[in-house]
Amino acid sequence: MNKKLSLLFKGSATLATLSLLGACAGDTADTDTDSDAGSNGSDASVEELSVWIMGDGNEQAQEIFDAYTEETGIDINLQSIPWASSHDRLLTAVASGDGPDVVQMGSSYMAEFTDAGALADLTEHIEASDSLNADNFYEGNINTTRIDDAYYGVPWYTETRALYYRTDLLEEVGYPDGPNTWDELSDAAMQLSERGDDMYGFDINFEEQTFGFMFARQNGSEIITEDGQAVINEPEFVEAIDYLKGFVDNGSSPSQDLGLELSQTFGGEGVVPMFISGPWTMSNIQNETTDIEGKWSVRTLPEGPENNMSNTGGANLSVWSSSENVEEAVDLIEHMTSTESLLTYYENTSSLPARTAAWEEEPFQDELIEVFGEQLESSEHMPVIKEWDAISQGYLSTFESILIGGADTQEALDNYNAEVQSMLD
Amino acid sequence: MKSKKAPYLFLAPAIFLLFVFSILPIFLALFISFTDMSLAGLADYSRISFVGIGNYSKILDDQVFITAIKNTLFYVTLGVPLVIVLSMTIAILIKLGENRYFSMMRVVFYSPSITNIVAVALVWTFLFNPSQNIGLLNQLLALVGLGPIGWLTNTDISKISLIILAVWRAIGINMLIFSAALQSIPDSMYEAAQLDGASRWQQIWKITIPQLKFSTFFVVVTTIIGWLQFFEEPFVMTDGGPLNSTISVALFIYRNGFQLNNFGYAAAGSLLLFVAIIIATIVQLRIQKVDTK
Amino acid sequence: MINVDRKTKIVIGIVLAVWGAFTIIPFIWMILSAFKTNAEIVSLEQNVFPEQWTFDNFRILFERLNFDVYFINTVIITALSFIGLFLNAMAGFAFAHYDFKGKEFLFMLVLATMMIPGQVTMIPVYLILNQLSLTNTYLGIVLPTLTSAFGIFLFRQFFSSISEEFFEAARLDGASEFYVFFRVALPLSKPILAVQGILTFIGGWNSFLWPLIIANDQKYYTLSVGLQLLQGQHASNHALQMAGAAFMVIPILIMFIVLQKYILTGFNISGEK
Repeated sequence: MNKKLSLLFKGSATLATLSLLGACAGDTADTDTDSDAGSNGSDASVEELSVWIMGDGNEQAQEIFDAYTEETGIDINLQSIPWASSHDRLLTAVASGDGPDVVQMGSSYMAEFTDAGALADLTEHIEASDSLNADNFYEGNINTTRIDDAYYGVPWYTETRALYYRTDLLEEVGYPDGPNTWDELSDAAMQLSERGDDMYGFDINFEEQTFGFMFARQNGSEIITEDGQAVINEPEFVEAIDYLKGFVDNGSSPSQDLGLELSQTFGGEGVVPMFISGPWTMSNIQNETTDIEGKWSVRTLPEGPENNMSNTGGANLSVWSSSENVEEAVDLIEHMTSTESLLTYYENTSSLPARTAAWEEEPFQDELIEVFGEQLESSEHMPVIKEWDAISQGYLSTFESILIGGADTQEALDNYNAEVQSMLD
Repeated sequence: MKSKKAPYLFLAPAIFLLFVFSILPIFLALFISFTDMSLAGLADYSRISFVGIGNYSKILDDQVFITAIKNTLFYVTLGVPLVIVLSMTIAILIKLGENRYFSMMRVVFYSPSITNIVAVALVWTFLFNPSQNIGLLNQLLALVGLGPIGWLTNTDISKISLIILAVWRAIGINMLIFSAALQSIPDSMYEAAQLDGASRWQQIWKITIPQLKFSTFFVVVTTIIGWLQFFEEPFVMTDGGPLNSTISVALFIYRNGFQLNNFGYAAAGSLLLFVAIIIATIVQLRIQKVDTK
Repeated sequence: MINVDRKTKIVIGIVLAVWGAFTIIPFIWMILSAFKTNAEIVSLEQNVFPEQWTFDNFRILFERLNFDVYFINTVIITALSFIGLFLNAMAGFAFAHYDFKGKEFLFMLVLATMMIPGQVTMIPVYLILNQLSLTNTYLGIVLPTLTSAFGIFLFRQFFSSISEEFFEAARLDGASEFYVFFRVALPLSKPILAVQGILTFIGGWNSFLWPLIIANDQKYYTLSVGLQLLQGQHASNHALQMAGAAFMVIPILIMFIVLQKYILTGFNISGEK
């Protein structure tokens, strides 16, 4: 009776075996394509380039791509990837070896994806181009594209952190332009926290993976020396963490996540009137915290014992190693990182250009944005090594255990340092 | 009379798909768990090397993993009974009413399942806010002169807060399953009991609950499996903190394995979790068998 | 069902109302927030109702989403996922009503697929689909989630609770196994079909991961992926998110209310005996 179904059954069984074989055969096939990836047998005429952009790429950059298509006749197949899933999507591209011609790479992904061979070496192209070579960009960003003396990307937009503060409240405690030094920062924070219960001065960020490292650098810590030694338990680092611990201990910073939005902590009475964040926060405050218009500002970070170095972030544009159109892809990158395109990009996204020359343009003469420009002169990326993600993960729990859990600073950092060293070795 | 071939034909398509998209990957995971596969290994298989049981001994040596196991057991022992009792209670209460108003209540109790996770996180963060001026739960406690409680910030309370949230989310689907099961209890059974003078309580205890055994078994098994993989609530609410007080095994694996591209390590953790769940399930299947005999 | 007098009914009604009110708060908040500005959502002063109702969020949503493309994809994927519902039902029926060699082993195998975190299987599944050249196809998007152990298990439990006599009667009349399944088992299982229908619909309608990973082109994206694209790297626009969520939930609510009727169509075993 069930002839049809038994046929179906047989069919699917065969399919199962086939797919198994396929999967196995595929494993070897993949390695093959990987080994000859990077060779650029570029065709005489390229009709289309594929591009991956994080977030809503059409909204951010469609005009830039349209201009390129008009100029060159090459179509752009733009694929936008949601930020929250960008890691998953990049992983699958690594697994299949099948990626886009041009890809937006978060600066913190660079080391690991380069190590995996996912990105094409662009050194030749970059050194040959006047507009793409390293002198054109902020050093903090260039350092994320240069790995073992080769270039794997071109800086696109940049980010750095500065100090946001409530001018009205800071004026009351004697710092109308915000604190200039570490000492002033803790003094101001202390005074502000004395305004009453549930009032604080400064926000120690427990979720930001770069927070403690940033302060340690300001105290002269190298974090990891050039010959690969972790120096996280040395006095420079320990003192910085103790400095931060002071804020929590004396109540001038909340010891727990307040579970509030920025507009609720920074607006109104100013429960937390000072915090460190990047340029993206400006539009948040402008749009959502309208009650404090004219009562807040941004300034460069307070000077530590050694410097006021901030933390650079942002994204680069790279070429996937499987791309067969490297030359054209680099040409597109050149177009995307031109001052003109960067201005369009800034208008659409408020992302700051990593190209220094672009800062001559009018939008970047704005008083608040200039602060970030100034901070960028004293700003470095976290170490560009593939172990960094794991290292910063360990930092978060160590930092929390010291500041909230009451662990001894030196002891906890000794343990953490050993952990980091074992990852490096 | 039953055909011998029939069951295999019925099963074939589903089993085939599960085999390709679930079973095969599990075997791959088993293989990967004995290697040091990372992002580099994923791109180029020649960069994978065998590390034997290295990942397993490393993960079992990790204090945070041990904490995660303890937390997960806490979640399961408290959460699973709550979900089952509450969802069954609501299903029965709604069924007792049996009119438009009560039908609408099904939508109400199902609503947490279809509420966007971002909305869930925002509202519950607000409810759980530690301040007596802001957090709704602490405001309510203040009315009776209690609190304030650091729902998510106190390391002793945080797990319980997440359980409350997770139970709230889990009731809907299980209530629905019980609702469907309640329909298949024949009215004649209740009629007969009423003739014998059984009270409402007796009818619920002696007829309704025993008649729900097939669906109860299902809910118990799937809820335990789900709670052993407890992930989303700590992920969106606390990220395992404060001080790892809410970290679960699944969150640990995600953070230390997948986020950092330590696929070998992540696979080893997942396999350990997998074995734990299988054992828990086999035990339940055995118990059910003994019960039905 | 148990006879309940009016007074008890009212008491139960009140209990459910209080409990239900607490349960539905986040859902209501989500819907109402869709009509607020983002500034209002994050402000210190929280109002239940929007201070000023705005439809801007929805306007922005439809302007920025490639709506027609994403909507059609979502519908196609949702429709295809209902094939999985029948495959699950068939498998559940086999486990419930036949004795065959390897039954326990196969069932355990099915359950095992529920026990491994999705992240472990994501990359292997992607590689398999890649090998089968199913990337950039609807088939590739739906296949990984078509069948589910949860569904098979749930069907098994419900088919087990149907008395064997119904099937024997049909078989005595010379019906084929497939006739028994389609004409006897399925019609007797409307409540659970309705529950599974709701779950399948929600799963298909909210498809996110596979449409994203399998597609090499935005023309395969679904509404969920499109909505996610609107979120920035650092700051998220809650108002826009809530508008998207509120919009996505409407078809689910309609489906729920339509199918709920079938959850309530019980069958009366004693009546048909």
